[in-house]
Amino acid sequence: MTRSHRDESPDRLHVITGGRSRGADDALDAVTLVVAESAPAPGMQSEHAAILRLCRTPTAVVEVAAHLRLPVTVVRILLTDLIDTGQVTARHPAPAPSQSHPFASPDVLEKVLVALHNL
Amino acid sequence: MSDKIPRDRGAPSSRSTEPLWFLLPVPALLLWTWVFWEAPADLTAPVLAAGGATVVLLTVCAALLARRARKVRELDGRVDAVFDQAATLAERDLPRVITRLREGESAERVLHTLSRSEYPAWQPVLDLVVSEISRAERRRAATVSACATAAGRIQAMTTTMLADLRRMQDSHGDGTAGADVLGDLMHLDHTVARTGRTADSIAVLTGARSGRRWSRAIPMESIARGAMSRIGGYQRVRLHHVPDQAIAGFAAEGIIHALAEVLDNAAKFSPPTSEVHVHVEEVQAGLAVMVEDGGLVMGEEALGRARETVARGADIGEISGTRLGLSVVGLIAHRYELSVSFRPSSRGGTAVVVLLPRTLVKPLATGPTTGGAPASGLPPSPGRGSAPGAAPARGNSPGTGPVPGQGTPPVQGAGSPSPGQGTPPARGTASVPPEPAPAAQVPPTGSPAPGPAPADRPATEDRDTPPRHSSGLPMRRRGQTLAATQRPEPGPATSGPATSSQGFGAFRSAVRGQGPTGTPKDG
Repeated sequence: MTRSHRDESPDRLHVITGGRSRGADDALDAVTLVVAESAPAPGMQSEHAAILRLCRTPTAVVEVAAHLRLPVTVVRILLTDLIDTGQVTARHPAPAPSQSHPFASPDVLEKVLVALHNL
Repeated sequence: MSDKIPRDRGAPSSRSTEPLWFLLPVPALLLWTWVFWEAPADLTAPVLAAGGATVVLLTVCAALLARRARKVRELDGRVDAVFDQAATLAERDLPRVITRLREGESAERVLHTLSRSEYPAWQPVLDLVVSEISRAERRRAATVSACATAAGRIQAMTTTMLADLRRMQDSHGDGTAGADVLGDLMHLDHTVARTGRTADSIAVLTGARSGRRWSRAIPMESIARGAMSRIGGYQRVRLHHVPDQAIAGFAAEGIIHALAEVLDNAAKFSPPTSEVHVHVEEVQAGLAVMVEDGGLVMGEEALGRARETVARGADIGEISGTRLGLSVVGLIAHRYELSVSFRPSSRGGTAVVVLLPRTLVKPLATGPTTGGAPASGLPPSPGRGSAPGAAPARGNSPGTGPVPGQGTPPVQGAGSPSPGQGTPPARGTASVPPEPAPAAQVPPTGSPAPGPAPADRPATEDRDTPPRHSSGLPMRRRGQTLAATQRPEPGPATSGPATSSQGFGAFRSAVRGQGPTGTPKDG
């Protein structure tokens, strides 16, 4: 993401996030879909308003970041603010089965085993 | 005879009294004649002798006195002349000499132009004074220019550093870097921004230009946040609703700097737990930015001092050593004709109102509407009801127009800036690759760009009416020609099919990555 000096803006990231670089909801990852629950209100921080307009239809976090040309972490912090105030909801995708997250967790398998034993 | 002296004192003032001295022997002569007449015959000889001697002596005395009186008059005249010369020198010639020396003329030349014969007595003094003033003036100019140069270099370096930091923040901000790299970068960013403000202050005080010039109008929200980013206690600053206005690019940096100084004062002189409130209001005369703190109430005397500091900011000689901030505000206010006023705040502290004149205020772009935002399926929000049609239009011109490769059109429309919010256009314009014509990036002044434009530009351009002068003639935008020459040749991306394909945009920004980034301080 290279930007020319011509495209720079006086806004700095530390002001946009109010100095926070952490504190984003861990449940938000790059592909979480977010959708706006309300329309932007006057007096809102412009990034928040932009996110609300962008997320009228479910939009991935990374997509929001690309549109705002902001780092994903910053967008996650902004989204967390909006989620906390209920203006945006996140839809977490179902995790794909993997080594650490197999379809059937040991708990489920154990329950099945117990149920089978009970038969 | 001694009684003659006082009469003689008064004489020189009336220059016609000189012959009176020669009348002095006359009464003696009369007296002598009478004595000679009355005296017995045997005393005639001594009386004659004594009388004759007296008359001769008196005549000599009269002659000597007359000469002395002449001499005194002559000396008086010379003293008067010298005083006159001194007065002329001090009132007429020295100021002239100093002015010419300040304008950079050499001491020799200035001395030469003075009529030397006029002041023979003053010549050594003049030589000394002129050469000393000249030397002091040279030294002062050299010091100021050295400071200005040094400040300019620091400004250039901080601008580069800030750009680098932003790039690093972009590349490390995806959360994969592990430790809080983004946080560290933000911290550095903040420190560098404050350093830059110090350098800017030195530059302003030395009469140099401000750190950089923005080539486009900067939305008011970005102005305020840019000012916040440069002060220590920015987290205590609350920015309230900001009207939908932008500040002309040439003045933006100065105004950011002045606001930063005002905010810094407010944050510094209020308790660390209190907040500083910033309200921006549109008023008849322009934009009023009110900075209110909850700190100590400034007494009438302190307010007066602050006003005075700002008012005389134009004179560098009056600057006090420790309170540079207000002097900087004063200088910038003088340069851009801002008005700065201080008064007690209703919150208990002090309120500073900075009035930005209307000449510096540009509206954020509004243009003919096209179906941008509505395409996303939701009606415009009530918050943007002031100009519902404007949002889609702007979304199309700065957003989809110049950036043919950024996602699907409906989403772009949805992401378009709203007139109710200050920054979105800046975000949008700040985020587009360098390639698009700057005219499109600057909604308020979106004149047709002379340079190469993406293939889908014409449509946008048709919608963007060029700004018109009051006389009806189209106006060129400041820096436009330079921008056109600096813009790299359009890559194949611009001549290719102007579709809104994501991949294409990525390719283009990758190509642009090696493009010239320009000097950090270009205007």
